Parts: sequence; C-alpha cells; structure tokens
Amino acid sequence: MTELRELARRLLSEGTVNAVLGWEEGPRGARPAFVTDAAGADRLIFDPRCVHNLAAYLSPRRPHLKQLGKVAIVLKPCDAKAVAGLIRETQVPRENVVLIGVRCGGVLADPESTEPLSEATVADRCRGCPDREAKLADHLVGTAGPGFPGPSHRAQKVEELAALPADQRWAFWQAEFEKCVRCHACRQVCPMCFCERCLADKTMPRWIESSPHNRGNFAWHVARAMHLAGRCVDCGECERVCPEGLPLGLLTRKVAQVVADRYDFRPTDDPAVPAPVGTYRMDDPQEFIL
Amino acid sequence: MDATPADAANFEPRITAFVCNWCTYTGADLAGTSRLQMASNVRIIRLPCTGRIDPMFITKAFERGADGVIVSGCHPADCHYTAGNYHARRRFAIFRELAGFLGVDPGRITFSWVSASEGAKWRDVVNDTVTRVRALGPFTNFRRMVADPATVSAPSTEVK
Amino acid sequence: MSTTTFIRNEDLKGLVADLKAAGVGVAGPARTTDGAVDYRSIDRFEDVVLDAQPRTSLKQFFLPPTEPLFKYRREGSDVAILEMPAVQPPRVIVGARPCDAAAVEILDRVMNWDYKDEPWFARREATTIVAFACPGGDRSCFCTTVGLAPDSTRGSDLLLAPAGDGYVVEVVTPKGQKLLDAFPKRFGAGPGVDATKAYRDKARASVDGHVPGSPEVIRQWVQTHFEDPFWSEIALRCHGCGGCAAVCPTCHCFDIVDEPETLTEGTRRRNWDTCQTALFTVHASGHNPRHDQCGRCRQRVNHKFAIYPSRFNEVLCTGCGRCARVCPAGQDVTEILTRIVAMATGQGGAA
Repeated sequence: MTELRELARRLLSEGTVNAVLGWEEGPRGARPAFVTDAAGADRLIFDPRCVHNLAAYLSPRRPHLKQLGKVAIVLKPCDAKAVAGLIRETQVPRENVVLIGVRCGGVLADPESTEPLSEATVADRCRGCPDREAKLADHLVGTAGPGFPGPSHRAQKVEELAALPADQRWAFWQAEFEKCVRCHACRQVCPMCFCERCLADKTMPRWIESSPHNRGNFAWHVARAMHLAGRCVDCGECERVCPEGLPLGLLTRKVAQVVADRYDFRPTDDPAVPAPVGTYRMDDPQEFIL
Repeated sequence: MDATPADAANFEPRITAFVCNWCTYTGADLAGTSRLQMASNVRIIRLPCTGRIDPMFITKAFERGADGVIVSGCHPADCHYTAGNYHARRRFAIFRELAGFLGVDPGRITFSWVSASEGAKWRDVVNDTVTRVRALGPFTNFRRMVADPATVSAPSTEVK
Repeated sequence: MSTTTFIRNEDLKGLVADLKAAGVGVAGPARTTDGAVDYRSIDRFEDVVLDAQPRTSLKQFFLPPTEPLFKYRREGSDVAILEMPAVQPPRVIVGARPCDAAAVEILDRVMNWDYKDEPWFARREATTIVAFACPGGDRSCFCTTVGLAPDSTRGSDLLLAPAGDGYVVEVVTPKGQKLLDAFPKRFGAGPGVDATKAYRDKARASVDGHVPGSPEVIRQWVQTHFEDPFWSEIALRCHGCGGCAAVCPTCHCFDIVDEPETLTEGTRRRNWDTCQTALFTVHASGHNPRHDQCGRCRQRVNHKFAIYPSRFNEVLCTGCGRCARVCPAGQDVTEILTRIVAMATGQGGAA
C-alpha cells in the first residue's frame, strides 16, 4: 500500500497525471477513489475488498470525468483486460492513460465484506484465474497471493443449464427475466458497454421494447450478451450491481465460452489481439449453416 | 411444443426469412420463375447483405409471431461486399448458441447459403424448415411473455 | 385511532392461512431464488423473513415496474380504446417495514396532486398494509432524521411489535380495523404497548444520529447551491446506473410508451424511469439539459430534499438507506447529507 501511495503521490506531484483513480475506504467498505492532489494519495488502498472494475471510468461514455484531465488508473490483472478492450476498440488512446498494476491473488465477492479472503468468500471470477499482474501496466506494485483453484461456480452453472431440456432452460430464464426492472444498471457499470447511444435507447425503430415485461427483457438481455461477445472480461460487475439479483454473468459467460471454443479468443490484456467479433477467418466453422 | 394434436393438424407455420439481395433473394426469384413448387409459409424480407441482418431481427420476428426464421445469403467468398457474410457467420454462430442457452429450440432457426443460381436449394431450405417447424408446433413462448390483465370495457371509439 | 390488541405467533400463521382461504392475495418479505429477501407473494407466514431489510421496497405493489394503461385497436379510421380493470383484487402485505409503508403514504401526495392517479389509488384501496416495527438498521439507516422512526405508524393500517409469544397490534386506520373485524378469532388480549418499549428503544438507538441536522437545513443549502462544485465531486464515482432509484421506496418517476403489438393493435404502458440516465431528459432535438452525471446526481438530491418539500412540505425520502447499500460505487446518501449539513452550518466545504 505504501508503494502504491508513493507512486500516486509522485505521479501527481510531478504533474504526470492530474488524477489517480483507485480505491479508498468508504462508509460501506472499499469504493472507487478519485485523487486529484498529492496529499490525497494517502487515501488510496488496495486490499481484497477492491472488487470494482475501475476501467468503466475510462469509457468515453462518461463525459463528466473529462474534468479530471489526464488520469492514472489502478488496475487488477482482470481490470487491465477491460482497459485493453477499450484500447483495442479505439475507445481509449493508450498514451492518454497511465496504468498502475496491482498484483492480485483474488478479491472478495463483496466490497463491504469484513471476512478474510478464503475459498468461501472469494469472488467467483477469481476461481481459476491464472493472472497475478497486468502485463499492460506502466507500473506494477504490491505482492500477490497464490490465487484460487477453479472452476468458477458460474462456469459450472452454465454447464448445468446447458444440459437441461430447452423448455426447462426457457422456464429458468423467464423466471429470472421476470425480476428485471430494466434500470439498465448492468449496462451502466459495464466497462465494455461504451456506445454513445445504446440500442436499447433508440426508438426509431424500437428494437428493444423499454417495458420491463419479459418480451422487452428478453430482447434486452439477448442484445446485451451479443454486444459483449468478445468484449466481456467476466468482471461480474453487471451481476454485482443488479438491484434485482439476476444472474447476468451466466449469459456473458456462455457467450465468452462460445467465442473461446469457436474463435480461440479469451479475454486478454494485450490490445493488439484482434477482437473476435468484427474480424473473421475464411475457414471459420459453419456446421450449422445449410 | 405447446400444440394440442388438433392444433398440430391444422397448423400452418409462419416463417420469416431474412435474405440478402444479391444471392438468396435472386435465388428465391429463380425458384419462382422456374415454377418450382414449395411451401407457401415463408415471408421474405430482403436486405442488402447478411452482414446487415442483426440478430435483433430474429428476436423481433419471434416477438411478432413467427414460428420459425430463415437467414440466408451468399456463400463464403461470394459476398457482394467482400466480407459481409463472414462477419454475419460469426454473429449468427454466437447468437444461435445464445438463443439455445435461453431455451429457444435451435430447430426454429435455419441458416443457409443460397446463391443466385440455387433456386432448387432455396426450395429445399424452405420445405425443410416448414416441415421441421410444423413438427415443433406453434411457437407460443414469445406470445406468453406479457401477462396483462384482460381489458374490461366494451371498446369505445374515441379518436377520429 | 390508537386501539391496541394482541396476536399470538400461532394466530399470525392462521391469519395468513385465513386470508389465503378467503381468496385474498398475501405478500411479505421472503427469500428469493438467489438467497436475498424481497417483498413477494407468499403462501404461508412461515416464509416471512423479518430480520433483514427487503432488497426492494413496497412501491412495486402500487406502481409496478411496467403496467398497461389501456389497449388500443385501430378500426378503419377510428381507434377503439380498451380500458384496464378499474378495481384491483384485494391484497394484504404482511411484514412491511415502517419506512416502506410510510413511503407509500408520502407518494399519495404526488399521486393525487394535479390529477388523481387511478391505477395507484385502485391498488392503494385494495391493499392493507400490516407493518412490523423494525428491529433496527445498519449504518445507512437514518429514518429518524427525516421524521420517521423504526416504529412509526405512517402509511400502515396495522403496526405490530413483538412482545411475549406474539405481537402487540396497533390499529392505525379504519382499514386496519376492518381486517381485525374480519378475523376476530385471531386477535385477543395480551401485553400492552408498554411491553414493546425496550424493543422499540433499541431499534431507534440503532438508527439515530447517522445524519445529523434536519431536512430543513438540507433543503436550504440545496436550494441555494445549484452550481456548487460539490455536485461535480460526488458525481465522479456515479455510473448513472439508477440502481438507487430502482430500490428506492419513494422514487416514482415513470415513462409512458405506446407499444404496437400488431399493425392495428397495441398497448400504452407506463414503466419505471430514473433521472440518473441520460435518456431521462434528452430532447427530441438531441440537446440534453442535464448533459452529464453531475446534473443528474444533483437532481436526485434536489428532488428529494428541496423540490418535493417545497411543494408538499415533506422530504421524498424515508431514510431506508437502500440507495447506499445497492450502489456499486459506494455512493452513500448519509455521507452526502452529512456533508451538506456540515457545509450549511459552516463546518466544512467541498473537499
């Protein structure tokens, strides 16, 4: 933590950046911090409660963050994949941001948790995560724990669902979509939902009905999962934010598996790897096409 | 799926086909001018390219009562715009698996490459799809998605 | 009305069974499939969970996330309007939190202001709210700051507080009395209100003082600091997700849309909406007067603590703390209000 604070203080006092995005102690556990002066660097923390994917704040969809000027951002290895995604898709110029990597051996599921990090309390996405540091980072600080073995519960649930008959899967999702109130919080917190104007907000034509009945909800969750194909870094923020508790990570996880199996693409912090949707190979499998 | 035997006997599936202008539409046209006999359950919507066919089109077709959907365009390497069908192929591969994961029977969606000279193939795609969807029965899943209470008043005509 | 009576735990179970048998819908806080607690339809009282605040509020029972207002059908050059039922089926909510019950009553003001909102009041009339005095909250609760309390009766028809082998029942409204009269065998003599004092005092102590100051102090500062840099500062971490509005018992903004179902038929619906999204204020021209999150964050505080009070003489907030609990970025309403109070009383400024 001292290392992180000293680095942030140096970047701010030397004028390399105008602000450092990291985590601080909030009223309810860890939360995002926006440090704009060297003195404030002591507010920065990093511990297993720092679950938030701060890459979302780099998305060009947040014009109010331009007031900060040039920023440095503190990243876990998984968050770096989202930043790489934004760079890959030309949403963030690499030279505009300083990346501070924190070495990570897993985070908690809940930023408010007071439990120690353990097999029982670790965030699901950390199960089986092989990454301890972000290769994309300009600076690396801290030390990493050993990590946690996989597979993730989410991956197991995807398999369980996939093994059910179609009508039971339909019933499962209809019951889940029934809860959705279409606040679109899942979209707002997603670092990879960077469209200036979302398909769901367009009315001419209205592809996705805004009403939170299952017809509108089905269209919304299909569109969201499709648009995140090859983009989702499985950070789980959509699921964490959902005020109604929908298991949204199952959809993005399923799509990520399809993309991995068919196009050999896995989320990576290398922005030079092309996005799987938007590129193609002439010999892509097409066994489903007559 | 939800059809009673009586329904199934009288069931004529409604199939929406999204086809590209350059190959499949022309192929379907050829099937017509060649007077090939085929099932008449398909409504064709012509688009410039399979690359223009957003998966939302398929969702919308189901929302609005389609029992099955056909998506068809130029064979690989034949795209009028060079690569539209290659991009579409990835998108549809992902969409097909996602839709299946959500419980949509993959048998309700047909993907095919039909060139301008393949009138007979278009006929086969149509007939196969109609037969398959007829066996699956009416697609009522989307029709049950909105559970509003029944309206009460006798219709009152108000607006001219 | 301040009659009290008593209901034994066994009779509470029986009461829910009686209501179900009489064809009355019953809802209460119960576990959802993902393990959380939420207000939902229940079959038996045993499923009611009283020791956790439900994830979402009661408003969904009166203002559903989506509801049809009417259906329309084009007939030649005319349009036929098909109305929705004007009367709602009877329902009893058992185990409401007093803050959530109060919220419904607060919303009655705006729902009957320039126009009587028929679907809202149809559901209000059909619904009896049986609140249970709150066992106490966490650090984000501040109901006592906004004039409520863990045992306030506002908005409830009956208020129950635990004592002995059951609950002391305070009859708050004639509608509550009607419920008693319908099932007289379930209620009887028992300890009086005094027996619940220790429980109530403990609950109050757990929420007191989390936001110092008064709504009036907050209102005055908010009304006079529209351009304060404070708003830009708190907006930094806001994702504009609107999770706060979704779980808020008093956020009630809605959008009205016409949804065509066929070429000639469709439904006019009203759906929840929130000032936290860009779409809420964007004009047809593309111009958006609230062009970034700074204005949207201000709006939420402004509406609750200045605009609503200036029209209805009370704040649009029950101090339930849900917005702080749901926020993925750790935005905390108690912190925001505490800082406003500090600035208003000259004890601090924008950091």
